[in-house]
Amino acid sequence: MEKVNFRTQVLTRHLLNNDHRGTAATAGISTSPCLSYTPPEISSKPFPFDVNSMRKLMDGHNIEDRDWLFNLMIQSNLFNPKLRGGKIFVVPDYNQSMEQQREITMKRIQYLLDHGVFERWLTGKGFDAEMRKLALLEVIEIFDHSLAIKIGVHFFLWGGAILFFGTKRHHDKWLKASEDYHIKGCFAMTELGHGSNVRGIETITTYDSKTEEFVINTPCESAQKYWIGGAANHATHTVVFSQLNIDGNNQGVHAFITQIRDADGNICPNIRIADCGHKIGLNGVDNGRIWFDNVRIPRENLLNSVADVSADGKYLSAIKDPDQRFGAFMAPLTSGRVTIALSAIYSTKISLAIAIRYSLTRRAFSITPNGDEVLLLDYPSHQRRLLPLLAKTYAMTFAGNYLKLLYVKRTPQLIKTLHVVSSALKAILTWHNMRTLQECREACGGQGLKTENRIGQLKGEFDVQSTFEGDNNVLMQQVSKAMLAEYVAAKRRNKPFKDLGLEHMNKSCPVIPSRLTNSTLRSAQFQIDIFCLRERDLLNRFAIEVSENQAQGESKESAFIVGYQLAEDLGRAYSDRLILQTFIEAENNVTDTPLKEMLGLIRSMYVLVSLDEDVAFLRYGYLTVEAAATVRKEIVKLCAEIRPHALSLVSSFGIPDAFLSPIAFDWVAANSWSN
Amino acid sequence: MASISSTYGETDQVLVEEKSSVRIFTLNRPKQLNALSFAMVSRLLELFTSCAEDSSVKLIILKGRGRAFCAGGDVAAVVRDISQGNWRLGAEYFRKEFTLNYVMATYNKPQVSLLDGIVMGGGAGASMHGRFRVATENSLFAMPETALGLFPDVGASYFLSRLPGFFGEYVGLTGARLDGAEMLACGLATHFLRSERLTLLEEALCKANSSDPRVISSIINEFSEVPNLKEKSSYHKLKIINRCFSRRTIEEIIAALEREGVQRKDDWISSSIQSLKKASPTSLKLSLRSIREGRLQGIGKCLVREFRMVCHVLRGEVSKDFTEGCRAILLDKDKNPKWEPSKIELVTDELIDRCFSKVKDDGWEDLQLPVRSDLASYAIAKL
Repeated sequence: MEKVNFRTQVLTRHLLNNDHRGTAATAGISTSPCLSYTPPEISSKPFPFDVNSMRKLMDGHNIEDRDWLFNLMIQSNLFNPKLRGGKIFVVPDYNQSMEQQREITMKRIQYLLDHGVFERWLTGKGFDAEMRKLALLEVIEIFDHSLAIKIGVHFFLWGGAILFFGTKRHHDKWLKASEDYHIKGCFAMTELGHGSNVRGIETITTYDSKTEEFVINTPCESAQKYWIGGAANHATHTVVFSQLNIDGNNQGVHAFITQIRDADGNICPNIRIADCGHKIGLNGVDNGRIWFDNVRIPRENLLNSVADVSADGKYLSAIKDPDQRFGAFMAPLTSGRVTIALSAIYSTKISLAIAIRYSLTRRAFSITPNGDEVLLLDYPSHQRRLLPLLAKTYAMTFAGNYLKLLYVKRTPQLIKTLHVVSSALKAILTWHNMRTLQECREACGGQGLKTENRIGQLKGEFDVQSTFEGDNNVLMQQVSKAMLAEYVAAKRRNKPFKDLGLEHMNKSCPVIPSRLTNSTLRSAQFQIDIFCLRERDLLNRFAIEVSENQAQGESKESAFIVGYQLAEDLGRAYSDRLILQTFIEAENNVTDTPLKEMLGLIRSMYVLVSLDEDVAFLRYGYLTVEAAATVRKEIVKLCAEIRPHALSLVSSFGIPDAFLSPIAFDWVAANSWSN
Repeated sequence: MASISSTYGETDQVLVEEKSSVRIFTLNRPKQLNALSFAMVSRLLELFTSCAEDSSVKLIILKGRGRAFCAGGDVAAVVRDISQGNWRLGAEYFRKEFTLNYVMATYNKPQVSLLDGIVMGGGAGASMHGRFRVATENSLFAMPETALGLFPDVGASYFLSRLPGFFGEYVGLTGARLDGAEMLACGLATHFLRSERLTLLEEALCKANSSDPRVISSIINEFSEVPNLKEKSSYHKLKIINRCFSRRTIEEIIAALEREGVQRKDDWISSSIQSLKKASPTSLKLSLRSIREGRLQGIGKCLVREFRMVCHVLRGEVSKDFTEGCRAILLDKDKNPKWEPSKIELVTDELIDRCFSKVKDDGWEDLQLPVRSDLASYAIAKL
């Protein structure tokens, strides 16, 4: 009883409670509790490694900028602070109507704008500005996906289109105005009838040399622009993707700037806009549909970095091949895939931090007569559910950091690599996110169903990730397609592989020891060897299958489509190997011994779980049946070894308490009568 | 019924009264405005520790004799230690003081602090972590550390960062003085009453015989009133404060204030800029980062971090502003400290980073906080 009083009093002591004269708000628990909450910090051993150093390694950059933005959000009522169980949480109110969520999202953007968050997001050049922007976007995503997407559409898609497709006249006119939100942009690419296949869009634009204007038209219902974020309520301008028809010749897809609303928010003439309606998540984003009824725009509004139309209506382009022109056009859009992959990782971290903290305080069933009930995470089965996902999240964090640097430091020579890496990681990381969210939701039991505990809601909010900016399955096919092309090129010219990390194919085939000992399984050499073995064998098999199909008279394309089973396995093999390589690289740069040892354990867990989960290892005989059983046993051991560090590992994610949820802390107090 | 214990010499710096289930501790160094000496901190820690276990004690009242509640820590003694080349001795003072702050913050019985006068620095640390903080018309609150070459310590990165908006940054960086009404408005005080009613309040509390914060709160309410904020109160400027003091860096905060100053002539803005420009540039950067990190941490983690920072400051390896500030403000009183680095833009991130790192000195240990098996979750930090 004394203990309970103590706790309730401490809870109410601090400045958190501004209602200093209120009596109801400070009410204590009056009945004796059946269970009491013990913070995991009390029962867990002291951190064996420095959590701050681990956080720095994971977040990678702009730590103080990130903390500053967390501070900004916590201190504003716009971010919906709620006192639960003695702690403040900021989390959007998803119980608001769609309209309310959209309005509050826009107000939050205004607040961030007023406090200088977006400074230099479009006008800043160089590495530091780019990294700051990405760090801040990651922090915004931790609060709310809708907010991040609305900002992402405006800066990365609309702003990015102007930056990359436009030339000086567009930059001068639009960048600063967009950065200050004097205009609000959106990005009209997807249509009802065409999503991933951008080349097939039906919107058509012609040129009128008499007035020096382009005329944009939506010729049929399937050509209506669809899912355009920002279009339904707020956007004043859009970049429209459309076929360009000059003198009856289709020159392929081009991008045009079009105003769709005036400053007062009235829709412009010859534009029709409808709402996409309520969605399973992301309701703070006003997705809309747009029809263009022969909308006229000045010739200067063609974003002309790749191709232009002269005043008298001549089509001019430095790139003659329409395929290449399209490629040049699409290349900058990788930014979307990069930010999606990165945000998937942070969503995963939120759910794991909550579920693991909960599993360190929630007990169920005793396994001895009259004994204490057992902590969820002390069940080996619960460890097996959560800890491998934790290890994968670490591995994918390093892959995400690699992708980020590849993107920021991109050169024309690296465009192909960037395309393949971003496609692979966008798909793998977002799939991992959805899987982790579901597992964490279940691991929290009924509490996982409450919106305030975030995880369940995140499933709806993040589901879209496997679809937008390229369907995951389509992206993975592109990965195996690129690998096949690399293979064919190397074989045809009889030259070594030198791209896509396939250099290991030039060496002799790695040999996997027949007897796998504990130390072999945990050695980086074995781990990279077995991943390379799988990748090289699958690539060989895939190439043979495609060429056999071609030999039987199938076209290249249809031979590829028929080989989808191997293509899928291959895409995964490529991604896993890439992720492991980035992990080992990050690990090699660490000098601190406790940190390095911890990372070694996590790496082994990541690899062994991958071996256990991907049937390809058994199907194609990279592992014997006995070896697979050994791997399985080793995972159980790794779970037990990582278990004592679970708390420090999720603490290293660097997500402030306020952005987690009540069940991550004192869930008894948060659910007490007085709360 | 009342008894005053002053069994051995040093302890009469803290007077102890036992009234039924209440213990009244009075800080008793009025000439030094009750600045907390090492002996006082030690004694308070003893008293709080023993009362925690004594089930006959239900409530603690802490107050000061004379015109101050407590004007701060005994910085002069610390500077003496440093000048004798013994930073470790000075650091031991802070170790004890921060431990006391932690014990108060996680205490199992309500602490009512009667803030009838000056509350600065260490005095804030001895009161703000307790449940009830009673201000009067005589209250005068400030965290003046940046002018001394230090930074708001004693857990200030915890309690300042939890004030509305960015008021905490304003108070911590400029050393702005607040009166009782302002303390109540921003939440530093939980109650306000006129000084003349304090005796009655004490008597009522002594009769309460309860540890229930609801009971205590309603008793204090009976004597309380809601004072009007003075017209020129900085709390009226919360909008400007939020606009400016939310900025990412000290440089940007000053620039934002200067922009506001251009838009409107305002003494408050110019005096805020003045305070910032007079303060130690290193202190400003340390303080801002400390408050920003504090907002994301629990009280324990805040104190551990602040202790590291204090040790770095005492060691003088990053800057000697602390000894210089104490010389200029407390000893020579020429009020003209020569800060080094002298300009904000000369204080590099690397310099500040070092002050947040573990102290690497033979056998030197981080602050070890007493274990609390029943610690509330808010008091815990993850990072």
